[in-house]
Amino acid sequence: MISLRGVSLVYPNGVRAIDNVSLEIAKGDFVFLVGHSGTGKSSLLRLLYREAKCTTGEITVDGIRVDRLRRNRIPALRRHLGVVFQDYKLLIDKTVWENVAFAMQVTGAHTRDVMRQVPRVLDLVGLSHKSRMYPSELSGGEQQRTAIARALVNNPKILLCDEPTGNLDPTNTTEITALLQRINLKGTTVVVATHNQAVVDRMRRRVVRLDDGRITTDEERGYYYLGLGQSQVLSG
Amino acid sequence: MDSGKVKFFLGEVLRNFSRNTAMQMTAIGTVAITIVLLGLFLFVRAAVAGVGASLLDQIEISAYLRPDATRAQVTAIARFLAQDPRVATAKFVPKRQGLAELRERTKGTIDTALLTENPLPDKFRLKVRDPDDVPSVAANMRRLSGIDNVVYGQKIVQRLLQLGAVLRRIGIAVIVVFFAVAGIIISNTIRLTVFARRREIAIMQLVGATNTYIRLPFICEGLLDGLIGAIVAVALLAIARATLWPRLLEALPWAQLAAAPLDPRLLAAELILVGAAIGILASWISVGRHLRT
Repeated sequence: MISLRGVSLVYPNGVRAIDNVSLEIAKGDFVFLVGHSGTGKSSLLRLLYREAKCTTGEITVDGIRVDRLRRNRIPALRRHLGVVFQDYKLLIDKTVWENVAFAMQVTGAHTRDVMRQVPRVLDLVGLSHKSRMYPSELSGGEQQRTAIARALVNNPKILLCDEPTGNLDPTNTTEITALLQRINLKGTTVVVATHNQAVVDRMRRRVVRLDDGRITTDEERGYYYLGLGQSQVLSG
Repeated sequence: MDSGKVKFFLGEVLRNFSRNTAMQMTAIGTVAITIVLLGLFLFVRAAVAGVGASLLDQIEISAYLRPDATRAQVTAIARFLAQDPRVATAKFVPKRQGLAELRERTKGTIDTALLTENPLPDKFRLKVRDPDDVPSVAANMRRLSGIDNVVYGQKIVQRLLQLGAVLRRIGIAVIVVFFAVAGIIISNTIRLTVFARRREIAIMQLVGATNTYIRLPFICEGLLDGLIGAIVAVALLAIARATLWPRLLEALPWAQLAAAPLDPRLLAAELILVGAAIGILASWISVGRHLRT
């Protein structure tokens, strides 16, 4: 589903954010990207949804060669992906329903499909009863669930999350984590960049560890910190 | 047609438009002023060109025959003039008639009774359809045998033709400047809305909206600015025409003639079109700049 081969990303200021990374993520996988702040987790995600363009290497996402993608094809790539951020990125003057529907409407979706799809994802994230509320009337967890609903409304095969629980308290964090797991069980490939130890340790899913732009370990059922539990270490 | 889609789209455009009323008013006002100036300018240009044209219309070429010109030569000249498509009318004026006309014109100033014989030669008097052709027709005639001299008020014709060319050039320059000013202001207005909506744009890009789709509401906003501005301008011009025009006619009677070629409805349509075009162009450029970065 996602494949990186020898990928590097050097920013114009010379900072090497991603350094010769190779990574395979299969369809239906659930992967944590962990590491300190500034080790390239976000940069790696940005490469996948082509917010950044890799300097060298090959990136394939859902059959699309992202490294060779022409600018005018970027929208097509993004429709295969859902992206969730730490700060939710909701529109404050739109209701929950409108925020979610917006993602469909701006891709030219038919109203009939919007009317069918929005209730479905709001139900999935458990916000059907708050669809008329504005983001300011919601808790952080509810805002993030709205953002997740928006990311899922176009039926992407891949969900990318950049610190999805970064602004949330433990209860909300648990909720969001459970939601991501449910989404993954429905067959969506989920990639989560996080430095929340509790989330990673509770889930016991694949953990890819980044340090200074390189993959240092890649464990099938990992913990946040290396060496806790039995871990199979693969070099990046 | 998917009415929900249309409703969503129009809603977005109107929300944009009403978000920054002060700025929209500035843009509309600038377009209106620009187009009023443009309209006035076009009118003045048409008036001056009209006066010039009516003067030029009165220009006649007089081709004087040699005293020894034969009847055959005169016939040949007449046939030659009849064949030239640029010549509107050509009339043979025998010297007797020429003298009579001269007597008429100079009545009271010169006593032609003192003349013992008619000093005037026979001549052809002709009018040319397009004033621009006067010099070349005159030059052609000079080459015909039997023609002594060709006179058409060279200096006046040349001056008027030059004036026309200069006015055209100034006109184009002025129009370009007006366009640029209005364009820049609309473009800045749109840039402010783009800035105010950068979150929306970022999310649109994130979920895979195409650039065309992202652009569309802004283009519509620019179009609205341009269109409303132009309509206000046309309304102002119409009011000016209704109130000031009669007084202007009193002061300058020849203006009636000059303004005749300007069809007010056509001019209004053109000005509105110009406004719409400025709006679309300016917003296209400013959104494009944002999307590229």
